[in-house]
Amino acid sequence: MMRNRKSRSYINPYLGGVLLGLTVLAANYISGRGLGASGAMKNAIVASVEAVAPAHAENAAFYKEFNETHTGSPLNSWLVYQMLGVLAGGFLSGVIARRMTWKVEHSPKISSKTRLVAALAGGILFGFGSQLGRGCTSGSALSGMAVLSLGGFLSMMAIFGTAFALAYFVRKLWI
Amino acid sequence: MGPLIVNDIISPNTNMLLAFFIGIAFGFILESSGFSSSRKLVGVFYGYDTVVLKVFFTGAITAMLGLLFFSLFGWMDLTYIYINPTYLWSTLVGGVIMGAGFILGGFCPGTSVCAAAIGKIDAFLFIAGIFIGIFIFMEGYPLWEGLYKAEFLGYLKMNKYFNLSSGLFVLLVIAAAVVMFWIAEKAEKKFKAPEY
Amino acid sequence: MKSRIIIAIVFLSLGLIIAFVPENTTSQYKLSAAELLDEVKGETQFVHPDQVADMIVQDQPTMQLIDIRSKEEFEKYALPEAINIPLDNILSEEWKPYLNQDVYLNVFYSNGTTRANEAWMITRQLGYKNNYVLQGGLNYWVETVLNPEKPDMTSPDDEFARYNYRKAAGNALGGGGTIEQKQDVEPAKLPPIRKGNKKKMVQGGCS
Repeated sequence: MMRNRKSRSYINPYLGGVLLGLTVLAANYISGRGLGASGAMKNAIVASVEAVAPAHAENAAFYKEFNETHTGSPLNSWLVYQMLGVLAGGFLSGVIARRMTWKVEHSPKISSKTRLVAALAGGILFGFGSQLGRGCTSGSALSGMAVLSLGGFLSMMAIFGTAFALAYFVRKLWI
Repeated sequence: MGPLIVNDIISPNTNMLLAFFIGIAFGFILESSGFSSSRKLVGVFYGYDTVVLKVFFTGAITAMLGLLFFSLFGWMDLTYIYINPTYLWSTLVGGVIMGAGFILGGFCPGTSVCAAAIGKIDAFLFIAGIFIGIFIFMEGYPLWEGLYKAEFLGYLKMNKYFNLSSGLFVLLVIAAAVVMFWIAEKAEKKFKAPEY
Repeated sequence: MKSRIIIAIVFLSLGLIIAFVPENTTSQYKLSAAELLDEVKGETQFVHPDQVADMIVQDQPTMQLIDIRSKEEFEKYALPEAINIPLDNILSEEWKPYLNQDVYLNVFYSNGTTRANEAWMITRQLGYKNNYVLQGGLNYWVETVLNPEKPDMTSPDDEFARYNYRKAAGNALGGGGTIEQKQDVEPAKLPPIRKGNKKKMVQGGCS
């Protein structure tokens, strides 16, 4: 019952998918690139490190390489503006659908604290993996698949395959 | 003719502004499809809610078809769009690590931002985790630089790899997706969704 | 009908179409033969020597004269500020930035019209813009600009005006005599390549 009421307020998944695809298409048509999420967060970190410890940023290998391939402030980048838009768009949709609540969503079998620790751990893994894999589900898998990139398809299979394989072991977190 | 930025039809500043609007659309669609709920997202791995699979594949296919049709009508020059490079090992290892992060944390970076936008506290922790993870990667970069750059296969496309036309390859993806959608809806009937 | 069935039908039909249209048509950088024929018939590619002379005299920096004759012929006599791209080399990568650009107005010339027109057709079929042909080639150039024929006394006034202008331009361009006179002028240096951002690759992904 609960689920029916909830799912009615979400849009049809196939309609959502078509709209999402059109957004990827628009990004390619306008800017010649796909969507992304983790890249914006990386730029934010590069900017913070450069502000907090400029000496370190000048010497460490990663920042050197980053600055060789990027010009201008890391915050003045396409992905950062796009990510600010995502924040605004998500907020807008939440307000319209009246889903704005402070909440820790978790299975009744675990405590809020367990959920928060798992979320943090998952975030760390995802953050690290997204850098190694040159992009996350949006930047590498979705946008990569849209342009038929081999890397995009591999990324998608690795992400979903691993999550599916591990799902059984962490089922208590979710069901 | 697109891409607009490459053909100097819009200025770099307009490009940044449009990035913001594209982001709004992206965020709005993710949230209204239910991607701001971690238990809905991971449902695909337990069979009780396959919205991720449906939205993700419908989205990818719509974009593929759109790009090919835009090119067919002469609206867009596909030689100018960004093709993700393929580094075999880092893509696979990175993907495996992301998969583990996905099933533990219940989000991916884009969806966690949407969830945070509507007040999910676990999403804030997930985002904090992403920042820490990226920071670890940057600081330890020399340790995994070898893996990061190993087996560079170039900007390889699937259809080239399998020696098919891009149209035919997309048709095969569509056929696979249609079968997956059918299985997904069967699974949703079989596995009861928990309340969330 | 269930939305899954609808999406399956729509995707599969679009997929069938895209799988069976020839992929070559997806490259819109080239002109079809019919489109090219239309342009040839329209003769819009021709620039009259008067216009070219006018631009040389006024030192218009946006015009680039391109001599498509052989190197030997070019060294013997060339129009001021012209660069030499022999017709045989026109497809070489080296010249692509000069031919496929949107800053200069390129004017091809040869002795007559035919060879310059061939060069124009090749570049046009590649989809390059801003390329034109000097009408009548160097022969007509000599006739009209360097050695203009004095109009009859009965001719209308504007004919005289044109004659006077050509006479002046011809003198400024080292004419007034025959073209056999030795040109000591060094052939023009290659102008800088100015192409805007056209070939810039986009950044993308999450990097």
